[in-house]
Amino acid sequence: MLRRLEELSNINGVSGDEGKVRRYIKEAIKDIPNVQMRTDTMGNLIVHKKGQGPKVMLAAHMDEVGMLVLGVLDNGLIAYSQRGLDPRVVVSKRVVIGDDMVEGVIGAKAIHLQTREEMKAALAHSELFVDIGAKDKDDALKYVKPGDHIAFTTRFKRLGESKVLGKALDDRIGCAVLMELIKNTYECDFYAVFTVQEELGLRGAMAAAYAVQPDAALILEGTVANDTPDADDASYATKLGAGVAITFMDRATIVNPNMFKLLAATAKEANIKWQPRQTTSGANDAGPIHQACAGCVAGSLAVPCRYIHSPASIADINDINSMYALADAFLKNKKFNEVL
Amino acid sequence: MDKMMMKDILKAYGPSGREAQAAEVIKQYVAPYVDEVYTDAMGSLIAHKKGTSGKKIMLSAHMDQIGLIVVAIDDKGFLRVSNVGGVNPIIATAREVVFENGVKGVTYFENTSKHGVNEAKMKELYVDIGCTSREEAEKKVSVGDMAVYVTNFVEMGDRLSSGAMDDRICCAVMAEAMKQMKSEHDVYAVFTVQEEVGCRGAGPAAYAIEPDLNISIDVCSVGDIPECDKMAVSLGCGPTVKVMDSSVIVPPVVRAFMEAAAEEDNIPYQREVLRGGGTDTGAVQRTRRGILSGCVSIPTRYIHTPVETVDIKDIDNAVRLLCACLKRKELPHR
Amino acid sequence: MDVFEALSALTTKPGVTGNEVAVSEVVKGYYKAYTDDIFIDPMGNTYGRIGDHGPTLLVQAHMDEVGMMVTAVEDNGMLRIRSVAGVDPRVLPGSEVLVHGKKVLNAVVGAIPPHIQQPEDAKKSYSIDELVCDTGLDANEVKSLVRVGDNVTFALLPPMKLKNNIVAGKTFDDRACITVMLEAMDILKKMKLDCQVVFCATVQEECGGGGARASVWNAKPDLAIAMDVCHAPTPGTKQFDTVPIEKVAITCGANIHPKMFKLITEAADAQNIPWEYDVAVAHTGTDAWDTQVQLGGVPTGLISLPLRYMHTSVEVISLTTLKNCAKVIAGVAASLGADWEEKLCLDD
Repeated sequence: MLRRLEELSNINGVSGDEGKVRRYIKEAIKDIPNVQMRTDTMGNLIVHKKGQGPKVMLAAHMDEVGMLVLGVLDNGLIAYSQRGLDPRVVVSKRVVIGDDMVEGVIGAKAIHLQTREEMKAALAHSELFVDIGAKDKDDALKYVKPGDHIAFTTRFKRLGESKVLGKALDDRIGCAVLMELIKNTYECDFYAVFTVQEELGLRGAMAAAYAVQPDAALILEGTVANDTPDADDASYATKLGAGVAITFMDRATIVNPNMFKLLAATAKEANIKWQPRQTTSGANDAGPIHQACAGCVAGSLAVPCRYIHSPASIADINDINSMYALADAFLKNKKFNEVL
Repeated sequence: MDKMMMKDILKAYGPSGREAQAAEVIKQYVAPYVDEVYTDAMGSLIAHKKGTSGKKIMLSAHMDQIGLIVVAIDDKGFLRVSNVGGVNPIIATAREVVFENGVKGVTYFENTSKHGVNEAKMKELYVDIGCTSREEAEKKVSVGDMAVYVTNFVEMGDRLSSGAMDDRICCAVMAEAMKQMKSEHDVYAVFTVQEEVGCRGAGPAAYAIEPDLNISIDVCSVGDIPECDKMAVSLGCGPTVKVMDSSVIVPPVVRAFMEAAAEEDNIPYQREVLRGGGTDTGAVQRTRRGILSGCVSIPTRYIHTPVETVDIKDIDNAVRLLCACLKRKELPHR
Repeated sequence: MDVFEALSALTTKPGVTGNEVAVSEVVKGYYKAYTDDIFIDPMGNTYGRIGDHGPTLLVQAHMDEVGMMVTAVEDNGMLRIRSVAGVDPRVLPGSEVLVHGKKVLNAVVGAIPPHIQQPEDAKKSYSIDELVCDTGLDANEVKSLVRVGDNVTFALLPPMKLKNNIVAGKTFDDRACITVMLEAMDILKKMKLDCQVVFCATVQEECGGGGARASVWNAKPDLAIAMDVCHAPTPGTKQFDTVPIEKVAITCGANIHPKMFKLITEAADAQNIPWEYDVAVAHTGTDAWDTQVQLGGVPTGLISLPLRYMHTSVEVISLTTLKNCAKVIAGVAASLGADWEEKLCLDD
């Protein structure tokens, strides 16, 4: 699972351009027996393991936050557009552009040339550009075109015994765990869905949920951890190493209370470390999925990630293992039957 | 209007996502007058009275009320909370609240050394349930539990005030209409969930029912209190026929249908153009191939506070208006 | 087809968001010249289908326009109004408008004159709450003719021809694109098609009210192209926010199926039609946004007609570009046949 995560994290899949991630997953799971898969028109990968019992859908999103080439200035610098990126974490990073992986950097005016006021103010995206070393506009347009996706180049690393560092841990962790779960056989009609465009407003899941129309759903996600020294009791949301986080409410979903309690009870029963996700902010694919068609019961499991939505985040391997164990226990012990 | 029923429905516990108790109360009252009562996957309660015309009318009023959800319990046993729906932290300060299991508490805000209550923010709000440690508090309440304002019931002549008028008064109106109405159409009274957090329950219910017409019943704000936003709706002048709110523009054919029903039975009504706020009306309209959808509102003062105030005449006339719509043979169509 | 005449017929009818019936009637009239297969859904979306076999291409342009609504009739007969879906209140003072009550009434939007305002207040723009709509009639007459909820529109002046095939008028957003649809029908009617094209004049685009989403549920398309207007450069607009008025804007980004983008640009290139990228990282602010995620997902494209002074009563477009948009739509339709699924396959 960790090797999968490493490879997944290193692949680029900015929202709307998830093809590379999808192809990696398809290749990796194609030999698992009894697996049928199809890619829908939005790019969602819908994996079906036919079985007896209720339709249970697990979902993880393939896309990561990133940028898009907007156009090229006369001097060859590239203007970009983005969604969900804090401009303060973008400066001074290496990026690659488009299918040809053209390398570039996002620079800023040198500190020596800044006034005191400039140093205090956060840079805006409109003041930042990608530099690929092009001579001028025409030169740049030989290598990139408007609409090309721009991704960070952070390479996945192990930190000490139990931590990992990488980009897109939200939600390649969910993808890696879901790929592992597909190998098992459960007594239900099992759907594993790798969704697209989650970061743009939970878009892929809307179409996928209509196609699947599950009876119950479980979303696997990476979530915000704020266990830094400055955080107090009430504001850390989740803590690294404290186990898989179970969601009771976010901006898109109020988790059915029976589902929340069931997941917590399942964790206790199987001795899996867990924590409540102690915030109501954020939103994930459970939102559109639980409201699709006539509605269904949906819950979420999350792995805490520090510095989420930045080019480099950190997660704990033990939490990832806990997410796998809890999702597996939920399916293996047919816990879903208790919320239908 | 059965006042006993109204009071029972108003005082039932039921913030968004935790409507089971409210549903149970409503079910007891509505079951004798319909052919079947059931709950869908979202938790909406659906009371169905069969008809003969082959046409389906859906009525919808939401059961959920705004509330607070526990996100953390600190070392000293104070509960840190987040809002469920549109809670104003200043109004939510210094209130008596109650949890689903009956545990009671009071609210206040932190940072009293830095600013007054007029600057209180949601993240500063906490609930004190009388405990002195986390361990003690965790025996009574868990993270993820929700609290609502303790509901009063103030009678001021024709005017009534309570904490959950939005939208339980409309649940009572709908239950009463199911008792009184005569219709040749299939009528589905849907007591929806999770309206306060973005109208999440009504769409799935409408998807399953596929009605030819939906009429939502909700509360709307008014323009007859001192120095408020201009709005041509007053308490006691009749229920409203909604023209638009931020979730919907009611199709003129639906408005015309409702207004004709009112005028035929001499029921006073007002036209309502609501500035802010959405209702289930829009969520139903945006279901499947598009569903003709309108809304009757009860003019309400002080919405989303513990003293939401309505006029009993508007309530009785809303019941009459619903019955007048339901008895019509010809439904609106494009 | 005389596009200027169609544009005149379409823009001189009121169609404030939520009440598009009068425009729908005009659209239906034009559809009749090309097809008998005409349909109106519960939302009011108005469809006309061409072709009888092969994949279904849905083409959308919205009928509704931003406008106003009466919120109160004051004791003296003056009307209070609010915006329905995004009127810029700064363009209202001094505007001639029509009040669509029991009769259509001429009126003016008025405000406190600057002469009697404090100098600092005169520098601020009026909020819509400070404005009144004045029919000049006495209070009783107004009350008998106008009710809360009645629509108010800009005066329904016909479009005017400027130099270089440029025209100006009201509601080109998005009736100009309805005109594109009619022009495309005109081209396609003369061709042999291996696809079905459902043209849909949608409702409630300006308020995100679900016209586009319902159009997908009714037409059940295999693929879709939405059409809308986008901004053409005017002084003060930013580079990359606009597209030159003489070019067709073709959108790419997450809202757009990459192969639909390819089909559309190929159709433009094949006819030597000048076009420009319109890059949208996420929300395109058009019918395409809702369309893409309906049912199990719809391969969606977006073509835009550049326009100056959006949401005013003097919107400006190029008729040459308008006709080019129609040629692009027709080109896409002509390229579709039994192999459509292969053409749209994501590179897996």
